[in-house]
Formats: sequence, structure tokens, C-alpha cells
Amino acid sequence: MGSARLQVVRDDVHERAAARRRIPADGSDPQRVRLADAALSCIARQGIAKTTLDDVARAAGCSRATVYRVFPGGKDGLMSAVVDTEVARFFSALALRMGAASDLEDVLVAGMNEAAVRITGHPGLSFLLEHEPEVILPHLAFSHMDDVLEVSSTFTAPFLGRWLDHDEAKRVAQWAARIVLSHLLCPADGVDLTDEDRVRRLVRTFVLPADGSETHETTRSTATTATVRSGGVEGIDRPSRSTRAIKGEAS
Amino acid sequence: MDGEPRQRILEATYACVARWGLSKTTVEDAAREAGLSRATVYRYFPGGRDELVDAVVSWQYLEFFGRLYEEVHGATSLEEVLERGLLFARRQVLEHEVLQKVLQTEPDVLLPKLTVESNRTVRLISGFLVPYLQEHGLPDGLAVHEAADFLARMILSYISAPGRWDLSDPAEVRTLVRVELLPGVVKETQIVDK
Repeated sequence: MGSARLQVVRDDVHERAAARRRIPADGSDPQRVRLADAALSCIARQGIAKTTLDDVARAAGCSRATVYRVFPGGKDGLMSAVVDTEVARFFSALALRMGAASDLEDVLVAGMNEAAVRITGHPGLSFLLEHEPEVILPHLAFSHMDDVLEVSSTFTAPFLGRWLDHDEAKRVAQWAARIVLSHLLCPADGVDLTDEDRVRRLVRTFVLPADGSETHETTRSTATTATVRSGGVEGIDRPSRSTRAIKGEAS
Repeated sequence: MDGEPRQRILEATYACVARWGLSKTTVEDAAREAGLSRATVYRYFPGGRDELVDAVVSWQYLEFFGRLYEEVHGATSLEEVLERGLLFARRQVLEHEVLQKVLQTEPDVLLPKLTVESNRTVRLISGFLVPYLQEHGLPDGLAVHEAADFLARMILSYISAPGRWDLSDPAEVRTLVRVELLPGVVKETQIVDK
């Protein structure tokens, strides 16, 4: 994750709209990104199955031969580029919001809210979820969802690292990702995660009472605070330290 | 195979799905397996193949949660419900041969159907948890349905994808319940170990 990419996204925020479509968000050449964006506009209109390379060429204002030159693998390669580009933009947007947060509550609210806004507002994704769910849903369940949780928590955990130790940050990041995914795939009555205030209530109600942060130590059993900044030495990525904390062995 | 025809057809279709998968199972196959005529199958499932396959998924889904209910309904505390339920459900997922096979070969067919079912299941699980939560006592300002809904969707999520938690290990399940499920929904003092 280079700072160059973050810089690119900061520019994006200032320039907005039109310029945004030209940004090499996946770090590759502008031509690739331009075609990926053209493909995305087709997908948002007619889905993946019906989108042809001709459609993409037309949307990008170039020839079919150009599309093949950039993507010798044809449609599959182009679709991978769309995914790469959109995933990079998604995480860049998360980084931007989460990086500006000033406490643990804010960083969680920022990340969860931004994720929900980006996902529900994403033109391609919303078309696919409605019309070609079979393309999307397998990636968000069972072992593939484990992968999604792992990738997203690996990316977002460092932003929680200012307030939580390594292991707790990873755990809470994954938990937050799980909560967002669950609400997006199976919306709950009255819980709209694109509403920042609603996310804040969710975070305060369910997530913060269980985290190991110093901010909340006064409201928690003393044992839990032992998980904070105890260093990520042994058992990294296992919830074992939390076990001890919750069982009260550390006190 | 005895029993009423509808059930008999579902069981026969399930056997076909186990052998050939969701997409390749036909009304013809199901009828032959059940020892009934195609016309009889259509009488119970006028929508034909699609309705039949949907019905089999729904039926197996309910069976799954029926077994889960059997496992936890005698539990005396919220902790016990959650711990026993997660352990049992995750094992069921891993040991369910037909589910695992279809997840490997036809996730694109299965997942949209499961997603529809899971919306219903959140309400089922949530309803089951309400009395346990009421007995436990909730933190001030938290409505019981809100707490139950949150627990229900988290449970479904962990059953499908446990992430970093090893749900075959009772100690980890216990930790998960105490770290990510209970703290928000019960009064704080109650989660401290006896």
C-alpha cells in the first residue's frame, strides 16, 4: 500500500467526478483503467453476461482491437481489471475516511459508514445484486466470505492500531466487516448503515462495549483492558489473548 | 418410501440433487426416484423443476435450523444457547455432504436461494432468542428486538464464515460469545465469569 496511491485518491477528492474516472486506482496504466471504467458503465446498465467487448470499446470510444491489445485474455481479464480497480478505490476511500478519525468510535463509524455508502451506492454492484446475484453472492458466503473478511480486516486493522493492540485491532476490524456485510446482504428494519448516526448507535451499542480500548476501560471490567497494548508477541491473529482477558485471568 | 406425496417428492428430489446437483435434477428424475408419475409431481409443484429445486433448498434449510433448534431449545441460559448453537451449527455445515458438494460445484445456483432463506431465518432465530434476552435483562435503552436481531444475524454470519474463529473448539466459541456477542446485549456484570 504505497503512499502514492493515497496521494492519488486525495487528488480524487478535490477534483471529484469527471477526473475520478481517469485515476489509475490500481496503479496500472491509464488505458487499462479507462477500459475498466467503460466496462463498469456497461455492467451498471446491462450486467456482466450481456456486456460484450464491442460494448466496452464503444463506451470507451476506442476500437475492439485496442481492447484486445490491452486485455489479450478478453472479457475475463477485463472483468478482473474492473474488480481490481473498484476494490482499490473502495479501500482508498476507506483509508481516507478512517485515517481522519480521532478516536476508536469515530474510526469504526467512519469505516463502516464509508463501506456501506460505497457498496450500496456502487452502480455496478447494485445492478448485479439485483439482476445477476449469482455472480456476486458466492463471493460473500462460506469460505469465500472468510477470504473477504480476512482481506478487509488486514487492510483496516492498522487504522484501529492507534487505539488497540495488533491482535485486538485485527479482531475488531474483522468483526466490523462482518457486521457491515451482514446488514448489506440482509437488511435489518430501521438499520441503514449509509446513515452515519445509525452506524454510530450500532457501534456504541454492540461493538464498543466489547472492545479492549483504553477509551472505554472505565466502563468495562478491568480484565478486558489488559488486552490493550500488551504487544502482539505470541499468538498473533488468534483470539487467545482476549480469552484470558474475558475470563478475568489477567486481573 | 412412504409418507405423504409432497414429502416423498422432496426426499426423492434431494437424493437426485445429492447425486447430480441442483441444475441437472429434472422433474423426470424426481418422479422416477419417488416412484410417482410426472403428473403427480406437477400437481404438488406446478412450477416444475424450478419450484421443486427451490422447495428442496427451503426444506433442507428448515431441517438444518430444526436440528439446531433441537440442539439448543433445552438450554437454560443465553450463553448456553449461543455456545451450543454455534458449535453444533458449524459442525453441521462442515459435515453436510450435499451442502459442501453443491457449494463446490454450483455456488452460483445455491447462494441466491440461501440468501433469500437467510432473511427469513434472521427473524426465526431472533424470535427464539427474545425470551432468553428478556430473562437476562438488557442494557438500558436497548430494545429486545434490536438485540435479538443483532445476535441472530451475527450467528448466521459466523455459521457461514467463522473468519478467524475456530468454531470446532469449545474454548474459542466460548470466547467469541463473551467477546463479540454478549457484551452489547446484556448488562455488563453478567458476563463476568462465576
